Amino acid sequence: MTVSFILNGEDVSAKARSADRLSDFLREAFALLGPRSDCRCGHCGRCLVFLDGRLVPACLVPAFAVRGKEVVTIEGFSQTADYSDIAEGFKSAGVESCGFCAAPRIMAASALLERHPRPMPREILEYMSCAPCRCTDPEAIVRGVVAASELRARRLYRRAGQ
Amino acid sequence: MICVATVRSPTARGSVRSIRFPKLPAGYRSILPADIPGRNAIVSFGAEVPILAQDKVSYAGEPVALVAGPDPVLLEELVASTKVACDEEEPQLAWESFSSDQVVAKRIAVVGDPELAFSIAASVHEDVYTSGAIEHYYSEPQGAASAYDYDKIAVWCATQWPYHVRDSVALALGCRAEEVSVRPTRLGIHLDGKLWYPSLLACQAAIASIVCGRPAKILLTREEDFRFTPKRARSSVNVRAGLGKGGELSAMDVRIAINVGAYGPLAEEILSQAVLACTGAYACPNLRIEGYAVATNTPPMGAFGGLGSSHAFFAMEAHVNRMASAMGEDPADWKSRNVLRKGSRLLTGEPLKEEVPYEAILARLVASSDYRRKYAGYELVRKRRSGRADGPLRGIGLAFAYQGAGAFLSGDSSNSYTVEATLDKELSLRIFTSAAGGAGGVRDVWRGIAAEILGIEPDKVTIATPDTDQVPDSGPSTLSRNVSIVAHLVERACLAIQKRRFRDPLPLTARSVHRVPRPIRWEGGQVSGSPFDTAAWAGTVVELELEPWTLEPHPLGVWICVDGGRVVAPGRAAASLRSGAADALGACLIERVDPTASPLAYFRYALLPLEDLPPIHVDFIEPSRRAPVKGIGELPFDTLPAAFISALSQAADSAFASLPVTPARLIGALGVR
Amino acid sequence: MQDSDVHFPKDLPEALEIMRKRPGIAFFAGGTDILREQGSIGISLPPEMLFIRDLPELKRAGLTERFLEIGAAVTASELLDLGDAALPPLLAEAVRGIGTHAIRNLATIGGNLACRKRFMDSWPALSCLDGLVELRDQGGATWMNVNRLVGDDARPSVPEGGLITRVRVPLERWDAYALRKVGPRTSPTPDTAVFAFAARVEKGILTEFRIAFAGELALRSPSIESTIIGRSLPLSSRESSSIVESYRAAASFLPEGLALQFGSLVDAVLGIISG
Repeated sequence: MTVSFILNGEDVSAKARSADRLSDFLREAFALLGPRSDCRCGHCGRCLVFLDGRLVPACLVPAFAVRGKEVVTIEGFSQTADYSDIAEGFKSAGVESCGFCAAPRIMAASALLERHPRPMPREILEYMSCAPCRCTDPEAIVRGVVAASELRARRLYRRAGQ
Repeated sequence: MICVATVRSPTARGSVRSIRFPKLPAGYRSILPADIPGRNAIVSFGAEVPILAQDKVSYAGEPVALVAGPDPVLLEELVASTKVACDEEEPQLAWESFSSDQVVAKRIAVVGDPELAFSIAASVHEDVYTSGAIEHYYSEPQGAASAYDYDKIAVWCATQWPYHVRDSVALALGCRAEEVSVRPTRLGIHLDGKLWYPSLLACQAAIASIVCGRPAKILLTREEDFRFTPKRARSSVNVRAGLGKGGELSAMDVRIAINVGAYGPLAEEILSQAVLACTGAYACPNLRIEGYAVATNTPPMGAFGGLGSSHAFFAMEAHVNRMASAMGEDPADWKSRNVLRKGSRLLTGEPLKEEVPYEAILARLVASSDYRRKYAGYELVRKRRSGRADGPLRGIGLAFAYQGAGAFLSGDSSNSYTVEATLDKELSLRIFTSAAGGAGGVRDVWRGIAAEILGIEPDKVTIATPDTDQVPDSGPSTLSRNVSIVAHLVERACLAIQKRRFRDPLPLTARSVHRVPRPIRWEGGQVSGSPFDTAAWAGTVVELELEPWTLEPHPLGVWICVDGGRVVAPGRAAASLRSGAADALGACLIERVDPTASPLAYFRYALLPLEDLPPIHVDFIEPSRRAPVKGIGELPFDTLPAAFISALSQAADSAFASLPVTPARLIGALGVR
Repeated sequence: MQDSDVHFPKDLPEALEIMRKRPGIAFFAGGTDILREQGSIGISLPPEMLFIRDLPELKRAGLTERFLEIGAAVTASELLDLGDAALPPLLAEAVRGIGTHAIRNLATIGGNLACRKRFMDSWPALSCLDGLVELRDQGGATWMNVNRLVGDDARPSVPEGGLITRVRVPLERWDAYALRKVGPRTSPTPDTAVFAFAARVEKGILTEFRIAFAGELALRSPSIESTIIGRSLPLSSRESSSIVESYRAAASFLPEGLALQFGSLVDAVLGIISG
């Protein structure tokens, strides 16, 4: 079947089988290597994307389920000011990553800050459980998200004042 | 690029009678053992593991054939439709008691006269401690790719040991090692799950590439990886300890059995490390230790964040805490009296060359966790409580152990590791080592060392991609040797360059080689040699509470104090200890793999949710200026589980000896109905 | 390799028409239940599916004076977004326990109730709250209490061929309630279950008392509850012990670990309401 949807801001269309997971579909049909099909059961978070603005594990979404929807991957998200705030916040707090969980963590942080602009440590850790990893230092992650929230708040405040 | 999928044995033990493939479409082909051009085996510390099992199979899920083709989804269907017929035999799954033909390695060490010492001991305490299998859940599942690159076979995989991959692929293809070029990909967190298994997949990818005449890649799904690749070995440690009148440790008799699954690669190493750690951090003049690596018909099991010592430390520290508690003594005091000192004889007879910082570590832990007051308070409550209405049930536990830095212990002759460095005319330094595939943190350590010696900026120091065509063999990246041995080699190479740089023209290259001075030897009940060059020491305190309604253990805090020598990047080191502690807590609370469990076990396995973690406090003992850099990555697993189980035993007023403790056992122990 | 035939109805009448023409067709909403235990590269789906996630009638949620009404395709996150003012706290607590935030963005309330392999997070809370589900099939629409989704064998018993379209939760006052999830939480295992409790007290007398506990098997005992209703608070220790014993006996069919935890939870709850 042909699946037409909006991908990282652009109208796209490609053929998909009913057996195709969205995570594989994005990689194979659109050469987007950000989302990875890893655990394939919604645990590891390596495949996180935004579907109509909501963070979801793309491995649990069949490709056909995104017809008419909007999908944003890390490639698209990395062009946004939200991404910059979070990346900068993580860097300033010394948040390190094994390299495989950096993108899903940033997206989980974005989903958190959208709903909880000034999150508490427990809320931060709950959202970061969307992308669990053996490399996670819980203290650094909390610091990083708090730093990101401050940068984000300052940017939005500046924008509101303009 | 073609994809490669694995046809697996349906039976745990038997012989393959036939493999019937469905009709394979154009562009797809099967690969059988007969297609392997060279030897059908990879070799790891004397154990041979078939690349594709031929005739005999030793575990359910063992690869017996491959199918290659362009579409991975179709490949999955073709593999599912392939029929492997076997003549089945009764699998050997028992390992805590076992038959002699299951023993793949044995270690015995006897010191003094343990039987005499037991006969005059004031008290004898005995128990059995078991550790279960744990899934590595590394950063990505295992896989490999291979293709011709002019006159070489190039292999890409995430591996802790690029030269092992190279040598294995050369053996499998029947070519010279120089004809294979290994290009390691990003490794991420591996927890020692990628020491030898990537070599197996690399061989399969290379064979498929040669046979099909195209680039080939084999990528395990996470589910396949969970079910069929090595896990942390399971262990059972029977500890019998005799104490003198003053509570001094006078005799020990330890029997350790480690289930290494099929073939037992690394069995010798894991067993050696476990046996050498059996006395923990304590001096004991009379002891007998018997260790067995036991093969079973399950997937090979082995290393996890270290090579075996954590099994022994768990048993020893849990036992020590229990003995002290039985005598009405704070385990911290018992440890003070019995801990090793500088000059104490280790199991090998070698004297310990360094001070043991137990008192300094204990003082820090007591101050930060309020251990002494809490232990005494919880002991009072434990002895006097009568029911749920008495309030929350809490416990606190302390464990102390070490992480030795050094080479492998089982006398493998390839214990020589090399690092090269080149300073060019622009005063940029390039470091060449095959150990560079690890996480970025340790590369910063090397850069820092090099920059300091040569007086250049750290960003002028680069690390060459660990392509085996470009870099020397620095050995496997395990046992924290990236921080201890490789960092030391980088230091020596830079010192050599620094000595010559104002005399000789640039560019200058220096080579630094490390050889194990005296490998460990096991002969006739005696073990000799140097178990480690130096050691990092750590104490861990765990405080927990039983959740009032569900009675599930809920950690309240973890405190770790480490004497890790010179800590080059304290922030990063602390972060690594915190994440290690989080992993160890997961193993205590929810992580357990049963290789014989339902296939759905994969979907039910999860890491501990971050919001369930307690505060984890990390502290370092300040080193002397001349202290070496030591590896500390294994210390959380060496200490936390014993501290946890001691805390749980106090909270529940019941002696637990294996983790995780199921609700049934916990509630039963509490007598709560 | 057979591609599944997936139908994308634009509204509920069209979906019902397809159901009429293709009896027994499988439904796909959030998909978390169908896909969470498939680790293979390709997804395995029934040969024919009805994609119901975007049906507008199934996405509505609204409050009346007496009920909260939720479309079956409303996700767990969307349900939580209704806020504490709209969502009964016992149900909110249950929904918060579903997976992770990312999973809650996919998982639907209808899917949570329609799982055939085990009871998921929302059932115990809805059982205590007298929740109702609307089932649509060829015969029309029926409202049924969620307690009827339990078979005689204590396992899920969702009527075949029926589509859950709405969930209705009575908005009543509860003086005491609690919810606890036991066992591994990230993904449901045989050791995972949810305990829900709700009670109403008027002039020191228990006028309502409900306990529901479910994992792979469900336990709710109206007969025990009827022996508790009408008692005065505080309960004596003999009364509490007797109630715990009754529940222990009723829970004997559960796996040992869960039965023991259930007993402990009943004990704790009785302690709370007795002050």
